[in-house]
Amino acid sequence: MKKILFIILSLAVFTSCERKIDEFKVEKGSANFSTYIAVGNSMMAGYADGALYRTGQMYSIPNIIAGQLKLAGSGNFVQPVVNNDFGVDFPGARPKLIMGYPVDCKGTVSLGPVPATGTLEPAAPVGYQVNNLAIPGAKSFHMLFPGYALFNPYYARFATNANNMVVQEIAPLNPTFFTLWLGDNDVLGYALSGGVGDTITSPALFQQAMGGVITALVANGAKGVLANIPDVTAIPFFTTIPYNGLVLTQSQADSINMAMALYQLPFHYSAGPNPFLVNEPNSPHPYFKVRQMQPGELVLLSVPQDSLKCKGMGIIDPGNPFQPYPIPSQYVLTINEITMIKSMTAAYNTILFNLAANFNLGFVDMSANLRLLQKGIVWDGIKMTSTFVTGGAFSLDGVHLNPRGCAVAANYFIDAINLKYGSTIPQVNITNYPGVIFP
Amino acid sequence: MRRFTTLLLIVCLAATTSFGGGYQVGLHSMRNIGMGLIGTSLSYDASSLFYNPGGSPFIKDQWSFSGGVSFLLARTTFQPLNVMEQYNLEHKLNTPFYFYAAYKPTANLSIGLAVNTPYGNSLSWGETWKGRYLIQDLSFRAITFQPTVSYKIKDVVGIGVGLVYAYGAFDMNKAIPLQGSNGDGTLNINGSTGNFGFNAGIMVHPETGWSLGLSYRSKIEMSVTSANADFTVPQSLSSNFPKNKVDVMLPLPANLDFGASYEFGKDKQWMIGMNLCYVFWSTYDSLIFDFQTKTAAVNRTATPALYTDQLIMRIGAQYKASDLLTIRLGGYYDPTPVKNSYLNPQTPSMNQIGMTCGISIYPTKGLSIDAAFLYILGVERSGTYSPDNFAGTYKNALYSPGIGLTYSF
Repeated sequence: MKKILFIILSLAVFTSCERKIDEFKVEKGSANFSTYIAVGNSMMAGYADGALYRTGQMYSIPNIIAGQLKLAGSGNFVQPVVNNDFGVDFPGARPKLIMGYPVDCKGTVSLGPVPATGTLEPAAPVGYQVNNLAIPGAKSFHMLFPGYALFNPYYARFATNANNMVVQEIAPLNPTFFTLWLGDNDVLGYALSGGVGDTITSPALFQQAMGGVITALVANGAKGVLANIPDVTAIPFFTTIPYNGLVLTQSQADSINMAMALYQLPFHYSAGPNPFLVNEPNSPHPYFKVRQMQPGELVLLSVPQDSLKCKGMGIIDPGNPFQPYPIPSQYVLTINEITMIKSMTAAYNTILFNLAANFNLGFVDMSANLRLLQKGIVWDGIKMTSTFVTGGAFSLDGVHLNPRGCAVAANYFIDAINLKYGSTIPQVNITNYPGVIFP
Repeated sequence: MRRFTTLLLIVCLAATTSFGGGYQVGLHSMRNIGMGLIGTSLSYDASSLFYNPGGSPFIKDQWSFSGGVSFLLARTTFQPLNVMEQYNLEHKLNTPFYFYAAYKPTANLSIGLAVNTPYGNSLSWGETWKGRYLIQDLSFRAITFQPTVSYKIKDVVGIGVGLVYAYGAFDMNKAIPLQGSNGDGTLNINGSTGNFGFNAGIMVHPETGWSLGLSYRSKIEMSVTSANADFTVPQSLSSNFPKNKVDVMLPLPANLDFGASYEFGKDKQWMIGMNLCYVFWSTYDSLIFDFQTKTAAVNRTATPALYTDQLIMRIGAQYKASDLLTIRLGGYYDPTPVKNSYLNPQTPSMNQIGMTCGISIYPTKGLSIDAAFLYILGVERSGTYSPDNFAGTYKNALYSPGIGLTYSF
């Protein structure tokens, strides 16, 4: 009996040690990942919280992807590393934003983004070849613009020749694989300027430029994936301040109604949220070319908040009560501007989809992915939305993703790579990537 | 004596673990464990108080005592979907135990007390693992006390009923995806509660050698009012997460058991038996945490479980080799009550195949030393806890040697 018991016991112990699940098996499929490069704009550069800084670069989408491609034989992925954690110095640059306690014009302390205290790094050439060719601010056609380094300090940091076109950086790297996510800025630049300080790239130029970039990328037989462009008006930069963010008491509404009657403007105000005033050049009014904002119109996060709160911007300046004070146009996207942005984005995405098909590239539908994020996505118990700060995916500039958001995006790229090339590159564990850090 | 005290201490501090379908534990008597956990139609000793109160009047002796402890070792492996790293869940050593005492004041009447640990769950995935926003560690222990009275009519039908008092304590930790300079926020919830249920059964001996049993253990609602809930979050968010109390509700499911057994051979040397156990798991719809101090961030949360009722099938056999030695063998199949889309690392449940063996040694009349060994194979299973989009493959193995004493006179 003892013998039987002993046999059963040893068998049990033995089999229990064998209770293994097959480990994840990495296969490279039909792709060759040995030299991976990335082309794109700030989204791929690791730009976040309003700056290009070291930690942000560490968590850039291509760097996350590269970490996984290494498991399938990829070599080192070199980025134009910023050595400090605040940002690169050039005219107009500010240190990255962190969560802190801003004090507004009314002396109210709240929890929100504030600039970090630190010295920016001088914008000097890094002096080495990089695999991450993503350039903050770059539009599609900038890639084919000789001497672009003179106009963009981020490109100047790693340009191998000041007179180069960015696409000329590609051939010397001899890439075998690439990710390309470019073109947001062709429409985002216009959107960030409130539709008044920048132009939207024409679809014809966009097609020509993107075709040129891809041609340069595949010149040596490299394979890759291409991502399309999400609806930029869905990002927190445009969705955080509501069009009717003018919150009034009854007595405030009464005095404004009185003023509007004096101005002979047909706008009515009541207690609670009311639409802001914006410029309207086509207004029939002889003096005051203003109107109330409409549902669906957007106020930009760049709007001076103190002016909204204390200076009467969007309604009437108490220091100048003789005329209305509309929000300046560079802080507002009107219905017409939004329609333009969306139709151009759709045109770009048709072009990108066709280019991916023509060049036989993998395809990442970032447009659909951002729509999912708007509704809310869940990974490993982390709920993320496109809401500013609390949504957990965007960084504090309201435009770029935070590391956790980048990890999710990197997984979308990895899925597209696996789908196209039959590889099994593992996803990253997004719980390892930080979200918004609170004080 | 010191060793006995130590053992007693271990027994008293016992934590039990989940195995089988959900968080129900089946280790209630070494003799029954040896026979694939069957027992509804058996009345060898005081353990029938638990397995079927209708069986205790059939115990041959006036007094019967039975007690024991199992040493449950488990190991669960988890491979997240599409991700490299694999996780090994080291369960702590768990020691489910039992103690039964039955007394027959008359030939047909039996009274008794059963104390055991029929429900529990104890696991620790670690503080930094991929599923930390679902669970880091969890310990849930329930001990039940069941005073029982039973009566038999002639030697044919026995009926019995016991009042069950369950006392449960739990402690759980999970991370919250709100990060400060020290990493994730955390939530600890701990508390204890008690509640009543019943255990009733009927046993029939239709003809020589045959025994049939039917028993029903009721559901027990374990609702903890005012468990401690401590949040640790970044300082700037602490006003949203005040020190809190939480009401927690976890049902212990009802069980309906049918068993049949047949003794045969010379001096009834052989016994074979089977048991069908229908577990009313569907009562476990969700794990509800209702925080008493509500804020924008802290409210009532329901973690859906959506368990489904399951039938466990068990068979066992016993052979009396001599007056000194009885040997037993058994096996069972315990299907998981958890749907693929609700497979949660809080209770990594999978279909399980149990294999058991056991012996009893009779050194003197009335006394037996009972030992049993249980090995459970968890069938590898992939699933997603869809409310949290947490996907992967689980596999586990458990083994549990145990020892007990039975004394009757």
